[in-house]
Amino acid sequence: MSIMEYNGGSVIAMVGKDCVAIASDLRLGNQALTVATNFEKIFPVTDRIYIGLPGLATDVTTLRERFRYRVNMYTIKESRTIEPSTFAHLVSSTLYERRFGPYFIEPIIAGLERNPATGELSPYIAGADLIGCLNFAKDFVVAGTASDKLFGVAEGLWEPGLEPEDLFETISQTLLNAVDRDAYSGWGAIVHVITKDKVISRTLKGRMD
Amino acid sequence: MPGTPSIQRPTQHQFNPYSDNGGTILAIAGADFSIIAGDTRQSEGYNIQTRYAPKVFRLTDRAVLAVNGFAADGNMFVKKVKQRLEWYRHAHAKDMPLRAIARLIQTMLYAQRFFPYYVYNILGGIEEDGSGAVYSFDPVGSYERETCRAAGAAQSLVQPFLDNQVYFKNQVPPPGRAHPTHLPLRDVLDIVIDAFTSATERHIEVGDGLEMYIVLAKGRTLQGVEAAQEISARTDGERVFVLRRDLKKD
Repeated sequence: MSIMEYNGGSVIAMVGKDCVAIASDLRLGNQALTVATNFEKIFPVTDRIYIGLPGLATDVTTLRERFRYRVNMYTIKESRTIEPSTFAHLVSSTLYERRFGPYFIEPIIAGLERNPATGELSPYIAGADLIGCLNFAKDFVVAGTASDKLFGVAEGLWEPGLEPEDLFETISQTLLNAVDRDAYSGWGAIVHVITKDKVISRTLKGRMD
Repeated sequence: MPGTPSIQRPTQHQFNPYSDNGGTILAIAGADFSIIAGDTRQSEGYNIQTRYAPKVFRLTDRAVLAVNGFAADGNMFVKKVKQRLEWYRHAHAKDMPLRAIARLIQTMLYAQRFFPYYVYNILGGIEEDGSGAVYSFDPVGSYERETCRAAGAAQSLVQPFLDNQVYFKNQVPPPGRAHPTHLPLRDVLDIVIDAFTSATERHIEVGDGLEMYIVLAKGRTLQGVEAAQEISARTDGERVFVLRRDLKKD
């Protein structure tokens, strides 16, 4: 029995043209038994950063609160909102603190990073393993029980420079088709597309089996 | 440790007759054709044994078999299937029909139920009614006719992609229209190449080369699929062609 597969669930993030998307399934299971079909694993950090926390469900809740606390402390001390790259390192050090007794979560971060010189916003995604080793990808990052399926479909469907609506379609199709081949993920999905001036959040119907 | 009696157990040795040689195979059936493909890398653990070891074999002019898993078992299995097909030819003066080859493969695999051939088989070709067909097997002979199937190391990467692109899963057709039941040859070839380049990108056991066998129903032509090498014995019935592509070698 693997702790990483105890509750099931998957998350994916993708880069588009001046936008990013992050999506997850909604299943919460106790091994093969589905317990809930409305368990969200993606949480807003700032108004242009989201974090996905697939893995052990108890740690999803714990880490969400720990990150909320640490981001609030950063905001107060620095008197400014945190940038995605800074937040990624905050996540990394929070996880590495528990190097020899880790949280069983592989976080995915998606956001828009402000360039301090020009003020422009650019897409930023990152993934990490359960002890905080960061992976800065240019295209997409995946995690969870359907990660290998997500890799296969994303590698086939993703292309550079997708506009928000096309990115939404690409990430939705990738997630839906991947989780349909995974017994531990599925039962609907949620997608967030983060653009310059708004965040588009949509709940998707999926196969209920 | 002093004071504790030391328990000496005899050293045990174990021989493991199986290994996993990686690679991936894939087959898609069209209305009047069938494509059976496989990469050519053969590996054991992190070592590449060879960059060219075929996993796809022509059995007859209307049947092609792809074999993936333990290469030694796979090669021996193909050898024995070919031998049985030759005996059939001598006895009946014709090639065995595809559905009969599928059932033969089942009995041959199940005959080894308690010491199985460690291989996943995918059989592709043309049925007696002229339709394209794909049969997939597990190592002990359980089988099914399908439109498309991936197997091997990157099955988990490729199969959901095929669900989406061949079966149009999770896609809604335009109002008043339906998804096509079979795709044209050119589209299927593009899907196969995309599937393998994707798998090569993300799976270390997939790469080096790609071999695509195209089986055409009687009377059908290649229609614009250039550079396919013909390997059929006769040109007046079903015909078999091979298309080769390079895949990344890293």
